[in-house]
Amino acid sequence: MPSREEKIKGTADFGFRDVPERDKPSLVRAVFDSVAPRYDLMNDLMSGGLHRLWKAALIDRLMPRPGMALLDLAGGTGDIAFRFLDAVKRQGHAVVLDASPAMLAVGRDRAMDRGLLGAIEWISGDAEALPFPDRTFDACTIAFGLRNVTHKDRALAEARRVLRPGGRFLCLEFSHVVLPLLDQLYRRYSFSVVPWLGAQVAGDREAYEYLVESIRRFPDQETLSGMIATAGLERVQLRNLSGGIAALHSAWRI
Amino acid sequence: MAKRSRAIDPRLLEVLVAPISQAPLRYDSEAQELISDQDGLAFPIRDGIPILLIDEARQIGDAPAAPAAAHESE
Repeated sequence: MPSREEKIKGTADFGFRDVPERDKPSLVRAVFDSVAPRYDLMNDLMSGGLHRLWKAALIDRLMPRPGMALLDLAGGTGDIAFRFLDAVKRQGHAVVLDASPAMLAVGRDRAMDRGLLGAIEWISGDAEALPFPDRTFDACTIAFGLRNVTHKDRALAEARRVLRPGGRFLCLEFSHVVLPLLDQLYRRYSFSVVPWLGAQVAGDREAYEYLVESIRRFPDQETLSGMIATAGLERVQLRNLSGGIAALHSAWRI
Repeated sequence: MAKRSRAIDPRLLEVLVAPISQAPLRYDSEAQELISDQDGLAFPIRDGIPILLIDEARQIGDAPAAPAAAHESE
């Protein structure tokens, strides 16, 4: 089944638009540089706090243990890294990588407030070309980030490359709602309320239109499972969250 | 001034390599750059955050590496 991932060569999805591949990274960066100061507040408002439960589900699945080295891709303002370090009682190390330095600056300020500065490194980088040697990390996560990557296959291959054998890959992302009635409600909510909230709270309606559209275009659960397996990660498992509004994919580098 | 040259964690420097080539990086504390001699690229460190994006790197020396182009043809 051809996914929407495979479209005209040389273009990439940016919301409902197709843009030249080369333009997508800077467009995405502009979105996140713009919304960075209000990003965390918007997540709470848009999801009614649900994103906290979804991220907690990711950390549960990760089964963090002391001494673990975590790489959180598209880790922005640090939500996953903070939860990970809480779970291991700060006996671990997290590297947060994000394309947007503005998001990382917000994250680092939050880390300072929490007294976590020494336990997290903040790096601006490209998920498709990671600045780490092979087999560096025990776990690699990406939460609500893969959608924004231009070549998702390259990012998945890079995640595998930097994982140690036995390392865990977890991807949390918006997905395709599996309950028809919920899907209708969710569609109406996401296309009307979310951009309105974006305009009111973050002062950027277009950024949140992009968010909603990019969710619609993201591959469904099965397609993503296939992409993860194609990248060479094994034992791919899937868990729908909140009826498929989000999905948690898990896999291993064997 | 102290803020500008915010120290980089030595542990971090040990683990970082250049994107794509995975060449080693050399820290220039004066210029606040991470330098890949192999690629002829200098990656900036802005406000203590290393920016390891090829698009943001400064070309140095005469290495016409053009790693972005190499990446495209993968």
